[in-house]
Amino acid sequence: MRGTDVRLDHVDVTFGDFQAISDVSLEVEPGEFFSILGPSGCGKTTLLRLISGFQEPTRGRVLIGGADMAGRGPNRRPTALIFQNLALFPLMSVRENVAFGLEARGIPKRERLARADALLALVALEGQGAKKPGELSGGQRQRVAIARALAVEPAVLLLDEPLSALDLKLRQHMRAELKAIQRKTGVTFIYITHDQGEALTMSDRIAVMNRGRVEQVGRPEELYAEPATPFVATFVGEQNVLIGTVAASAPGEAAVDTPLGRLVGRTANGAPAVGSRAFVMIRPERLRLSDGAALAGVVSRRDLEGPFFVLHVESGDTRLVAHVPNSGAIPEPGARVALAVDPADMLILPEGETARA
Amino acid sequence: MREILRAFGGPLSLVIGTLVGFWLLILVAVPQVAMLDYSLWSQAANADLSAAIDRAYAEATMAEFDRRAEANPAKATELDEKLTALKRTIAELEAAQTSPPKTYGLQNYTRMSPLHAYIFVRTILSALAVAAVALVVCYPIAYAAAFAPTPRRAAILLTALLVPYAMNELLRVYAWLMIFDYRGVLNSLFAAVGLADLEARRWVPFLETQGALFTVMVSVYALFMVFPIMNTLQTLDPHQIEAARDLGASAWRIHARVVIPHAKPGIAVGVITVFMLAAGSFAVPQILSRGTGGDWFSQLVYRQFFEANNWNLGSAYAFSLLVVSLAIVFAMMRAFGVSLREITK
Amino acid sequence: MTRRREAGEAVLDAYVALFLLYMFLPLGVMVIAAFNAYPDPSVTQWHGFTLHWFEALARDGRMLAGLRNSIFAALAVVALSLPIGLAAALLLTRLQSRARGFLYALMVSPILTPGIILGISTLVFWRNFGMAGGLLLAVLAQTSFIAAYCMLIFLARLQRFDATQVEAALDLGASQGLVFRRILVPFLAPSMATAAVVAFLQSFENYNTTVFSIGGDWTLVTEIGSRFRFGLTPAVNAIGVVFVVLTVAMAILHVHLGRRRRAHG
Repeated sequence: MRGTDVRLDHVDVTFGDFQAISDVSLEVEPGEFFSILGPSGCGKTTLLRLISGFQEPTRGRVLIGGADMAGRGPNRRPTALIFQNLALFPLMSVRENVAFGLEARGIPKRERLARADALLALVALEGQGAKKPGELSGGQRQRVAIARALAVEPAVLLLDEPLSALDLKLRQHMRAELKAIQRKTGVTFIYITHDQGEALTMSDRIAVMNRGRVEQVGRPEELYAEPATPFVATFVGEQNVLIGTVAASAPGEAAVDTPLGRLVGRTANGAPAVGSRAFVMIRPERLRLSDGAALAGVVSRRDLEGPFFVLHVESGDTRLVAHVPNSGAIPEPGARVALAVDPADMLILPEGETARA
Repeated sequence: MREILRAFGGPLSLVIGTLVGFWLLILVAVPQVAMLDYSLWSQAANADLSAAIDRAYAEATMAEFDRRAEANPAKATELDEKLTALKRTIAELEAAQTSPPKTYGLQNYTRMSPLHAYIFVRTILSALAVAAVALVVCYPIAYAAAFAPTPRRAAILLTALLVPYAMNELLRVYAWLMIFDYRGVLNSLFAAVGLADLEARRWVPFLETQGALFTVMVSVYALFMVFPIMNTLQTLDPHQIEAARDLGASAWRIHARVVIPHAKPGIAVGVITVFMLAAGSFAVPQILSRGTGGDWFSQLVYRQFFEANNWNLGSAYAFSLLVVSLAIVFAMMRAFGVSLREITK
Repeated sequence: MTRRREAGEAVLDAYVALFLLYMFLPLGVMVIAAFNAYPDPSVTQWHGFTLHWFEALARDGRMLAGLRNSIFAALAVVALSLPIGLAAALLLTRLQSRARGFLYALMVSPILTPGIILGISTLVFWRNFGMAGGLLLAVLAQTSFIAAYCMLIFLARLQRFDATQVEAALDLGASQGLVFRRILVPFLAPSMATAAVVAFLQSFENYNTTVFSIGGDWTLVTEIGSRFRFGLTPAVNAIGVVFVVLTVAMAILHVHLGRRRRAHG
């Protein structure tokens, strides 16, 4: 099995008046684990159906391995889709499920069942082939779905939030397993999720989507450290957002007047216009307790998360959240504290839509 | 359309389209249109035509006789011409007799005799009454079956309800005939206690009453009333009834305020179904009345087709029955606020 | 209060008993007369127990031919109604609301139409093509409404169908034919059995539609119907007994098999 590249070229999808996908262009590398991350209703499932062939674009092109997919149904594309509900065939045995794609290709029964058994071994389900899907556990069914999709030797495997039905422990285990299978097979994985943790841990690259548009594409650490838009900044990881007016601006740097005073931070793309509205973004783990002036307030709540404390600090109408390492003296609620942050850890972005408005 | 093609592919879509088209057009819609068409025309009565043909034949025979006796060639030619003309007339008349010209119009609908119109109205009203009586008779049974104290009792009751339906409708009606007949079970019982005398033909003429017809129709269609009501009642939480009772409500009030409102869709389905079956009932009146208890409209339709051989009038009668009973069904659906989907569950 | 409640329950029980008597009375009369030696069907003129009428029934050529015709017609109706009902149900599941509502109404209309009218319209329509009443027309007329029952049975089952299974199969490269054969048909198999039984019984038992479209042919039921006009013997009662015995036997068998299947897991 060898993965191929997938390219979306200025794709639009409209349903009546509703524009589900607006001018999306993407390039997925061969053999990449690529995630599409976004809140529900952002168009990510439509994007997946577009690649798998259940949906034709209203405008634009879908190319897989360089070939234009226009007019090719889902059964004639080198893709395999793993459905959110898995869509295993309940009346067929697990082996027959896995062998189904080969049956559709007219491969003789003995050969296809042998290959199904080999795939079941790959996903650690040896000896379970005779069972019906209903007799398996959630995690096992998950692996059957993967084996069934891999049986047709797809160049691209599309996964539609397949882990969402599992409990937390199993989900974390399956993340590692999916990643391992992807490495082993070299197939291009396109993974849809609304769970940023899933996307950050498994993906080579992530596209963040909102309202039918791709906001940013990048490696997980890029998205986390250098979000291009307020939406990405707030959807990926937690964020303190201070709103203010740009007081001064220079390439790579700006000063913003916020309710907590004038803050100087770095800018992401270009210099914002003086006088325009802007967000100052600070990650909770970048705020630290200090003795200096910086950002002062009163602790309103203190939650222990294990390795760190979550401190809620209020100053007027503004509330800041800080993750403070669980060591030394931690201020009690009601205590006055000062929080410090490096200018490099303050990201200034033009005002825009955030994920938690 | 494109959706269908995508879902099933070309060949399968073609098969599906053909099957559904054959059903809805050839088996359902077009036959109704054909029946409507039949109801809208009539042909000249054959009796007039055959008299005219007889007259023409007589004239031709006379002319032929004259022609043979005629010596004058001029007169003979005249007679020959007359004969040819007569023969043409005969051919035309005979052609008209085998396929008389159709006259389109509403005559088949307007020509219904007062007696037939009366029977039509009576049939519809009786069918409504049968549905109402069946509701009253069957509601307690549905209630008892839905809230049987143990599942075992519910199962026994259901089986008991179903077993009599193992016999064909005709045979069930016929069994009732044996009960209600002049020398039947009931009159024999009456005779045994001196209330009737079968030898002297002094008996109770049950079969000539509407009561017998109602008794039989309700018994024949009871299941169609019990089951839908029972099904809706089974979805009623018995705790609601207990709560109402606990709050001091009387049995009447519990039924009026809790049980019947909940059963309404089932009641609607039952009433509509029984009305439909009763309005179109053929076997019950045919077997039971033997012409003594008054006609049901379906019997008139049957006679127009197979005894009077007037398919046009028969079609008009059938179409009238269809339209009126469907109109009443839809009116009841609106009144009860139930959808087609609920009716056909 | 509890005393009043108990009284209410006693009244209801008594009423249920009365109702069952009402339902079983004709059945009892029917059965008893079948074993009565008196030449007219009767329970009041008891001339001794006999099995003669069953024997007479077994030798009754027209009844036996009627039974054959009934079975043939019922099988034909099953053969027509099942594919039609299935096609109609599949079509409905894929249609959008407007067209769906209209088609649904058209499809269930034969159920709302009095049976005699289905027979009449079929008879009238086919006369235009020179076809007279007969077994074939009876089959067509019956199919017009029995297909609707089959459609409803399939539709109920299809509403519980997970449509992503079809997408999954297509995505794995299956043709629509393979999806139909391997996914849809196995899923629908239980309702096919139900629909076949319902269609067979509906056809076999039908009188109103059949009597108008059967012409010179006859089925068991129309033959019984015509016997009412031309003299009856208790052989007709014997048929009733056979009906009841067969049905009860089948019901017991069904319950028994169901229990065994459950016992085996």
